[in-house]
Amino acid sequence: MSDATIPAQAEGGAVIPKPRAAHGTQDAADAAGGGTVATATLVPEVPVAAGTPGASVDPGVPPTESRLTGFGRGLARWVAALAGAIAIFTVLLLVKGANPASVYADVWTSTFTNQPSIEQIFVKAAPLLLGALAVVVPARAGLVNVGGEGQIVMGAVAAGGIGISLGDRLGGGLVMILMIVASMAAGAAWAGLAAVLRLTVGINEAVSTLLMNYIALDLLLYLIYSPWKDPHGTGQPTTAELADTAKLPYLGTTAVHVGFVFALIATAVVWVLLRYTTWGFRLRVIGGNPEAARRAGLPVALLLLSAMAVGGALAGLGGMVHYAGVEYKLRTGITTNFGYIAFLASWLARHNPVSVVVAALALAAITVAGDSLQIDSGLPAASVNILMGLVLIAVLGWTTRRKSEGKAR
Amino acid sequence: MVAPRLRTVGRAPHRRRPDEDISSWAEEPEGRDVSTVRAQARSFHSPANAGDQSFLDRPPATDVGTVGGCAMSAVTVEAPGATTTAEPLLAVTGFTKRFGEVLANADVSFDVRPGEVHALIGKNGAGKSTLLKLVYGIYRPDSGEMRVAGEKVAVGSPMQARALGIGMVFQDLRLVPAFTVTENYALALARNGITLRHGELRRRIAEASASYGLAVDPTALVRHLSIGERQRTEILKVLMTGARIVILDEPTSVLAPSEVDALFAMVTGLRAQGFGVVIVTHKLAEVRAIADRVTVLRGGRVVLGGVDPKPMTDAELVEAMVGQTVAPLPAQRPTVTSEAPPALELVGVSALGDRGVTALHDVTFAVAPGEIVGVAGVAGSGQRELCEVAVGARPPSAGTVRVSGRDLGRGGPTAGIAAGAVDVPEDPVNDAVVPALTVLEHMALANLRAFLRRIGLDWRRAGSHTAEINDRVRLRMAPAHRKVADLSGGNIQRVMLSRALGREANLVVAAYPSRGLDIATTRRTQELLLARRAEGAGLLVVSEDLDELMAVADRIAVFCAGRLTGVVPAATTNRQELGALMTGAPSPAGAPSADPATPAVAPAAGPTPDRSDGA
Repeated sequence: MSDATIPAQAEGGAVIPKPRAAHGTQDAADAAGGGTVATATLVPEVPVAAGTPGASVDPGVPPTESRLTGFGRGLARWVAALAGAIAIFTVLLLVKGANPASVYADVWTSTFTNQPSIEQIFVKAAPLLLGALAVVVPARAGLVNVGGEGQIVMGAVAAGGIGISLGDRLGGGLVMILMIVASMAAGAAWAGLAAVLRLTVGINEAVSTLLMNYIALDLLLYLIYSPWKDPHGTGQPTTAELADTAKLPYLGTTAVHVGFVFALIATAVVWVLLRYTTWGFRLRVIGGNPEAARRAGLPVALLLLSAMAVGGALAGLGGMVHYAGVEYKLRTGITTNFGYIAFLASWLARHNPVSVVVAALALAAITVAGDSLQIDSGLPAASVNILMGLVLIAVLGWTTRRKSEGKAR
Repeated sequence: MVAPRLRTVGRAPHRRRPDEDISSWAEEPEGRDVSTVRAQARSFHSPANAGDQSFLDRPPATDVGTVGGCAMSAVTVEAPGATTTAEPLLAVTGFTKRFGEVLANADVSFDVRPGEVHALIGKNGAGKSTLLKLVYGIYRPDSGEMRVAGEKVAVGSPMQARALGIGMVFQDLRLVPAFTVTENYALALARNGITLRHGELRRRIAEASASYGLAVDPTALVRHLSIGERQRTEILKVLMTGARIVILDEPTSVLAPSEVDALFAMVTGLRAQGFGVVIVTHKLAEVRAIADRVTVLRGGRVVLGGVDPKPMTDAELVEAMVGQTVAPLPAQRPTVTSEAPPALELVGVSALGDRGVTALHDVTFAVAPGEIVGVAGVAGSGQRELCEVAVGARPPSAGTVRVSGRDLGRGGPTAGIAAGAVDVPEDPVNDAVVPALTVLEHMALANLRAFLRRIGLDWRRAGSHTAEINDRVRLRMAPAHRKVADLSGGNIQRVMLSRALGREANLVVAAYPSRGLDIATTRRTQELLLARRAEGAGLLVVSEDLDELMAVADRIAVFCAGRLTGVVPAATTNRQELGALMTGAPSPAGAPSADPATPAVAPAAGPTPDRSDGA
């Protein structure tokens, strides 16, 4: 802008042909293909096979190629945000009078240096991951599913119903399959209900799913306080324990049940569904512009319903693995907010079905660390919620800023 | 005027004459229409204009406004440097701006004097919008300097530009759709204080609306306004922010003839008051009608700098813009005979507009196979609803819509697509574009069924299909892997056109097909429409450009306030007749084909011979 920069412009001119060379192929192909205009003087020395079909379009380019690089960048950003959140948390620890160094050291040793804790991380990550996928899928269609918690509860209830009624009568494997099917169906129905409400009455699904969480929890309470209450129990409001044969097996000698494997399989399936299927593509169109989807003749209502139902089914499965892999009994606090933490995980992963694995593991680790924080450092249990809130705000704040930068470009 | 410097640059055989220096798909790095709209809407919040309002009340400082604009010699007032002529209100020297590989502006110089209208023309991607955005502070130049009223300035943001008296009316709309007109104005004209004082603002808007001759309803919700109405609202808003230099980016592209006349009358008024007006346009007739000087850009460079357009012919201007001459459309065209049912048949169709008010009243007419029916009318006369009803995107509240003999009923867009209807929507950004998807994905979206492969889509085949369409249609679409969010309006339009015109269809509904396109591409689009006609498709083409309609269409259906006021043969009609019908005046007596009832039956019997007979 200053006078000094003006001479530089001459050199600027010298570099000009660069873009032209890049487009030369196309130009030639275009014009030689019979450009609209007769008198176009083509420069003959353009050494390009003119008229090459497809010169201007690369058919081999996958439509979503930037995703992989985006993953790496996302991870780096994520780590930075995490660090920021921990820094603020440190300040809170100082205010509380604790010695941050020793607290973190304690947390580190008790969380990451002994096998049981590490196993705990994977155990908690299973329902978290499934719950997060329940947010990822609807998000692809522009829907906000805050109902992971309720859908997890419904999944656990359905699995519990099968477990109580059939657990000791049928073979363990069959019961497991039935529990999986029932839990997924229950979760899908619960989430699908929210979609139906949106499509018919026009209630925003974020609101309806959130409210339905409370209904699901109350339904669980009703069941465990009266009809399903363990008749031989100690009077606690729980169901009878799941038959041993129907409990999810552990992986090798570890304390990690196969639910984590289920979650990984589900992740792979969701990834394939969203990335490679027509269904996934259609969801993306709806998420990007519902009116464009409608005008392209897509069955928008059906697609929205299916996105919610698939999400709900995944959350329901999350409820089942937690019930049949960890709890074995339905009880009041069975989900320990998995649905909400999973919601967080999905947002942290920016609804990417691959990064969501990392997010779920990280949040599971924070949850486990929170337990040790409570036990070892005598800090209130809420501390870890503060940390998670900070993480969410840091990461989301980061993402948002990036978006607006992109726009200003 | 062709920048000779290029020749000296050593970049041997690949280089071509600067004349052809146009990237083949018209890269327009300046236009991030989809993604920027909302961000920009916020930036209108400009407290800097608190004092500017009074500018409109007082006479301009340099009272030079001899109508006609060019005779500026009397003024040397506060500009010691300017001896020969008036100090330019705005002078740009040597602006250069590069976006990655693309040189959007190369050594561009440009000035606007008080009391003149300076037209800026060029093809898509010639660098017009980049230049404007550099001036308006949206981009910063890589090099070059800018002076406002003789003083060197560095404009870092639109807010600064506005404070300097530079007002911009964007080509894409920068209004908040959910707000009323008054609320939108409140964003731009915000003053200190807590309350918005709607009443006062409404009154000011009404006054300005009256004095500039631009009808704007301050209480209307912007999302209920047609594009033409929104543009009018924008223009008035910028005027009310107290700009001294008014930049109009393609203001006439969607205005009706009467609105264009009103706009030009207003521009003339501004010129007389000593404002500097920059107008970007694709229409050469407008350049000659309104501009005192014209600057032609091509490939980011100035080809013609500030010359008087009046003595120039269309051909000369086009050649300067395109570097080529453009062949005229063939005047003679064959009659297409077809046994097929009418491509589109509307019987007593009414439809509600977005406001829930009936926007289309009892419309009956038909489009035969191998016929182009143009649709003329003032903006907001029901064209949008008509197009949507025709492809099933809007359910009719009464009447029957048949595409190729199939009743669309309540089948929605799916039924329309099944019957073979394709469309170029009036507002692609809102209605047809998914910003995050690529061009390729948009091409596939139009015809997903064709690319199914087991559970997924065969992207390779979609890619080769897209390449094939691109080769055949030759609208120079953006590369298939580009995200549509990064494309400008003109390039989005190319995608829409390629998609709609590149495949088999019984009915093509094209709303403003040449919007945002340069002359060569417009001509190509018209050729494509005629090619579709020759293949036996029926076409419904909406345009604000009556000349375009008369050149392309066989018959023209004229709408006024949602009613069909007449269907006239394009070959024998004239602007006066169309203008009368557009304003709802009864059609001149003795024109039997103007009777809206007859065409409903006639096309069923066969093709319309109107044009071939008349021409």
